[in-house]
Amino acid sequence: MTDDALKRWICLGCGFSYDEALGLPEHGLPPGTRWRDIPQDWICPDCGTPKSRFEMVEIPYAAGQPALPAAA
Amino acid sequence: MSDSFVLRADERGYNRILSTGATAAYVGGHPDAFITRFSSFNFGEYQEGRHGFGRIRVFGDEAFHHPGCSYSMHPHHNFIICAFVLEGKLTHINTLGGLEDLGPGDYYAFCAGSGGLHEELNRYAEPMRAIYLWLLPDHLLLPPSYTRGHFDAAAGLNRMTPLLGDDAGAVPISQDVRVKRLVSDAPGTFRYRPRTSGHGVYAFVIDGVVRCDGSTLKRRDSKAVWGADEIVCETGRGDTDVLFVETVM
Repeated sequence: MTDDALKRWICLGCGFSYDEALGLPEHGLPPGTRWRDIPQDWICPDCGTPKSRFEMVEIPYAAGQPALPAAA
Repeated sequence: MSDSFVLRADERGYNRILSTGATAAYVGGHPDAFITRFSSFNFGEYQEGRHGFGRIRVFGDEAFHHPGCSYSMHPHHNFIICAFVLEGKLTHINTLGGLEDLGPGDYYAFCAGSGGLHEELNRYAEPMRAIYLWLLPDHLLLPPSYTRGHFDAAAGLNRMTPLLGDDAGAVPISQDVRVKRLVSDAPGTFRYRPRTSGHGVYAFVIDGVVRCDGSTLKRRDSKAVWGADEIVCETGRGDTDVLFVETVM
């Protein structure tokens, strides 16, 4: 994976995965938001683990994932 | 070229988590209950140790004290969460429809995948002791699953018994990891051959004394070896109980 490629990060407290390509629009992070651009005091939306305790992972998605929201 | 590290019992992280105060929402069983946790790798408040080993991210030696002691219902994603009950009874509740008691020898693999919730509870006065193992999965957002197994120590006496992974009789998991358990009551030599030289093995002594890859390991000591074709373990005359986690590196 090149340095420029969009990356995925996993919460070491609960396993919640953040994908730079998808962002978290419902939490104010548009698709494409880089990990480095997320504030350092950000915490896991599901368990509150600090941003510093996430790990960058290179793990492919299961078939059919990520499931995209249905068109309006 | 093989490499290794030894982690002695008292070199692990230690946390005592109360059901009162700041952790009251995390641990149930107010006011007397508390959880003790020895961590082989960084987890929660313990961040002074190693990050993990291969695909292992958590290896916790935990005890739940007092009736009602629990990890209150909480979410998980992605991780393959395994628990091996050593003593007492663990009541496990999860959003895959499970509500059951696990006793000594019982274990489960909960692949959190695209998401689930679970609660771990000791309903009884006797402490519940378990080993918790968290593995990174080989795919993100897998369909969640929960599978239970049982290790029969009598049937497996003096034999390396597969518990998790792709060996016959083991509970399958979505990762290139195998967990085996050896309970021994007699001197013996066991040659563990990792699947490839790209696989490492984390050996944890639940009880007894074992000589593993040249190191004498006592109760709750552990050793990780990688890059080796074979890891030689020797048991002595007393009772020995060792958990082996083989992982792609």
